[in-house]
Amino acid sequence: MLNDIESIKSSASAEIDKAQSLKEVHDLKVKYLGKKGILTSKIKSLGSVPPEDRPVYGQTLNQTKIFIEKLLTGQEEKFRTSELDSSLRNQRIDVSIPGCRSPLGRLHPVTQVLEEIITIFVSLGFTVEEGPEIELDFYNFEALNMPQDHPARDMQDTFYISDDVVLRTHTSPVQVRTMQKSTPPMRVIAPGKVYRCDADVSHIPMFHQLEGFMVDKNIRMSDLKGVLELFVHRVFGPDTSIRLRPSFFPFTEPSAEIDISCVMCKGSGCNVCSSTGWIEILGAGMINPRVYEMAGYDPDLYTGFAFGLGIERVAMLKYSINDIRLFMENDKRFLEQF
Amino acid sequence: MKASYNWLKEFVDFSEPPKELAHVLTMAGFEVEAIEQINDDTIFDIGITPNRPDCLSIRGIARELSAILEIPFNALHPEITDSKGTGPTVDISNSDLCSRYSSRLVTGVRPGPSPQWLSKRLESHGIRSTSNIVDITNYVLLEFGQPLHAFDFDKLAGKKIVVKKAGSKKKFSTLDDVERPLHKDMLLIWDAEKPVAIAGVMGGKNTEVSGSTTNILLESAFFKPASIRRTSKALNLSTESSYRFERGVDFNGVTMALDRAAHLIADIAGGTVSGMTDNCPEPFRPQKISLTFKKIQSYIGADIGEAFVINTLINLGFKTDKAGEGITVTPPSFRNDVSGDVDIIEEIARIYGYDNIPSTLPIMQMSAAPVHRSRSLIQTVRKSFTGSGFTEVINYSFMNTESLDILQLPKDDMRRKVIYVRNPLRKEEEAMRTTLVPALLNNISLNLNRGERSMRFFEVSKVFLPSEEKLPHEVVQVAAVYHKDMDSSIWQYSHDGFYDMKGILENLLQELKIKDYRFDHENYALEPYLHPGKACSIIVSGERIGSLGTIHPGVADMLGIKGNLNVLEVFDLDRLIGAMQMKTVFAPLPRYPYAERDVAVVVGDDVMVSSVRNEMLSVHSDIIESINLFDVYKGKPIPKDKKSLAFSIRFRSAERTLTDTEVDELHALIITRLKENLNAELRS
Repeated sequence: MLNDIESIKSSASAEIDKAQSLKEVHDLKVKYLGKKGILTSKIKSLGSVPPEDRPVYGQTLNQTKIFIEKLLTGQEEKFRTSELDSSLRNQRIDVSIPGCRSPLGRLHPVTQVLEEIITIFVSLGFTVEEGPEIELDFYNFEALNMPQDHPARDMQDTFYISDDVVLRTHTSPVQVRTMQKSTPPMRVIAPGKVYRCDADVSHIPMFHQLEGFMVDKNIRMSDLKGVLELFVHRVFGPDTSIRLRPSFFPFTEPSAEIDISCVMCKGSGCNVCSSTGWIEILGAGMINPRVYEMAGYDPDLYTGFAFGLGIERVAMLKYSINDIRLFMENDKRFLEQF
Repeated sequence: MKASYNWLKEFVDFSEPPKELAHVLTMAGFEVEAIEQINDDTIFDIGITPNRPDCLSIRGIARELSAILEIPFNALHPEITDSKGTGPTVDISNSDLCSRYSSRLVTGVRPGPSPQWLSKRLESHGIRSTSNIVDITNYVLLEFGQPLHAFDFDKLAGKKIVVKKAGSKKKFSTLDDVERPLHKDMLLIWDAEKPVAIAGVMGGKNTEVSGSTTNILLESAFFKPASIRRTSKALNLSTESSYRFERGVDFNGVTMALDRAAHLIADIAGGTVSGMTDNCPEPFRPQKISLTFKKIQSYIGADIGEAFVINTLINLGFKTDKAGEGITVTPPSFRNDVSGDVDIIEEIARIYGYDNIPSTLPIMQMSAAPVHRSRSLIQTVRKSFTGSGFTEVINYSFMNTESLDILQLPKDDMRRKVIYVRNPLRKEEEAMRTTLVPALLNNISLNLNRGERSMRFFEVSKVFLPSEEKLPHEVVQVAAVYHKDMDSSIWQYSHDGFYDMKGILENLLQELKIKDYRFDHENYALEPYLHPGKACSIIVSGERIGSLGTIHPGVADMLGIKGNLNVLEVFDLDRLIGAMQMKTVFAPLPRYPYAERDVAVVVGDDVMVSSVRNEMLSVHSDIIESINLFDVYKGKPIPKDKKSLAFSIRFRSAERTLTDTEVDELHALIITRLKENLNAELRS
């Protein structure tokens, strides 16, 4: 009898192991554990076993039942999982179909560069000021030490609205306007549109500038150099060097043109830098005491620096754009690259 | 200014090869823009800034090189010792416009071609060689920066020179055979009867030196810069002479250049040089500028020694007197740009080398930046539009006023009151923009023509409106265009672009925390460029702040725009500031559950969804948490002039859980209201 049970156990074990589907597992369950199952009938026949042997038989039968049940459950679980898996696999979608994207809006590259630069200066404690784009001749020229009949006016081709109202040719008028309404110490940036009566491959009649200036009691020319160096490193990378060249602006003295080492060739010479290794990027200088006089400051008390930067120029260098007119054309294929 | 390497070397014996010399010049403020090899010489093209007229000459540039390289300057002073007699009388009537007029008569000259060295040198500096006498005046102009003029003396009536304004004289023919209109304040050179030159600008045809000229009068003068500039501007005539006079020539160099030219003429064209007539009604007064060494150091931020300061200034031609902690400096007559202590500091910094100035960071007191509300508003607008898939464009601030005609704007529209540019480059730039819409429509046209589809563009920019003040109003506007192409993707959205655009605006208003707004179709005039059935005004806090709608098919046709295009315009961004809720206060999350009921009603076609909503809310606005329109249907079996609207209404109380009975009662009340007030029928 015990041998019978042992052989049931081993045959059940072998059959369950070989089962290929959930149905086969189910059939084996009926075969062994069903109402008329092989093991069930053995349990039913327990009554015919001599009473002294019953505990041993009973225990063995019970253990065998648990053993078979466990095997069956294990197999069942296995087939359920794989059937679910294959049914899910059959619901496969084509992942190569393009995603349903919500359209991606972009800021104009000029705005992106301008905002980047503003962020740099704001992090240095500069505040943002604005001034009118249609400006009085006084603020655009006169207060910046460019009286009527001054040859420096030739440096900027001017759009006129009337005799004494112009489209501002630079953001520098904001210097005097800001000085008139506040007192040092001040560090200010003034971004905005400026206008020049000029149009060709490298000039457009409207472009963007950022004016920066700082006035206090002990501002040195070396501070101008330090601040601009910091700015250039942030925008073009720390391996970019800067070079100051003497120049002339009526509203700064001394004046300087600031060059950066060519961002394309890293200074070895290429088309972009006309083989000089340097690219002119902004104009700057120590604020001319005449500007303080115009603003009503004591020129013996305060010193400061100012600089003006062309945003399109920076964007062109940053993104290797070769034609300034692209900025104003607003071709979608251009705008979506940035 | 073109300058020859070999010519410069005559004055300063440098050893630097051309490329190196170019670098030296560039780093001292004389940017070498081009280097050209001509025969055995190198020609530099140097950008001379307007403050340095002294360097519009070979000698001027050489003097700079002498200071930078610390090599002596070989001045080569010409001296005329064997002159006989004197020149003609010179009357300066307008001494305020001419502070010096010197002249020499050279008699018995033989005009002819120039020697090769002379013509070659002129030509390599971009000046055409004509005849020896004119060539010599040009040569001296290049060498000294002093413009000279040679008159045919025998053609001067009364053998005299008068310097006075044009007065009633209306016209004058210049050397180049052009009859020029005169203004009464232009300074002219006259003989006893007639004008013979426009002072400092160009000589006259009537006294031009020709092949038969035997006696010449050489003029060398100092004219007031502003006067020459006005004349040159008015005549639209800029010459080598006027360019230098308007920037200022060397007052003390006037006679030196005259002597040099007279000497060369006698040498090359023969003739006898007479004595000089030198009228100098307003002599040169050198100024003295005092400054301390400490100021020089602290202004530049570099430790520059006293000896360097003094040597540099002397090498540049300045006189210096050391006085205690500082110096008193007298600039030379050719440096009319130097008038203050900072000008002296610039000279020192320039020669010291900007490259040698250290980089420092300023020491400054900390202060809080004021809040820039309109800037942060613009940033929020940009963020909202890009978040809605719009790409920013930047257009010119100019417009062609014809674009307002295309928009069909009525004659009295505010946007018709344009500010004109006096000197536009093209018709497209004749006026300042009063609306951003035309440019955005052009952006759509351009991109459609280039084969692009499905575009969303926006712009935030100023427009310019007239004001009572001297300067116009500059108003920040926002406009957006949405071109929807139905067939562009498998992910199609069939709804009307109008509602896309409206949703985008509603998102923006939410981001700006503006709650008091509505869309109005009846009470305000609609934009004439919009479809009259698919447009509305945007009302914020009871004020019309913009418009929204589908483009008028007629306008779209005119612009060649095909497809569904919607336009949004906000007239003045700053007007939104008042409506923005500045403070956000947290509302506690609801503690009790909501109950939801759906209702579908059939109403007349002219009944607006907003009226239905308001009707519903009027039942119990505290308990109706939200009303969501989930279907609008027209067509069978709904009668033709009606539509079906389906809403899902959410009820919730802040104080307790609502019972089903309560909610059913409210729902029933809503239906009753809709039936009674809007003639609605329940859709079964």
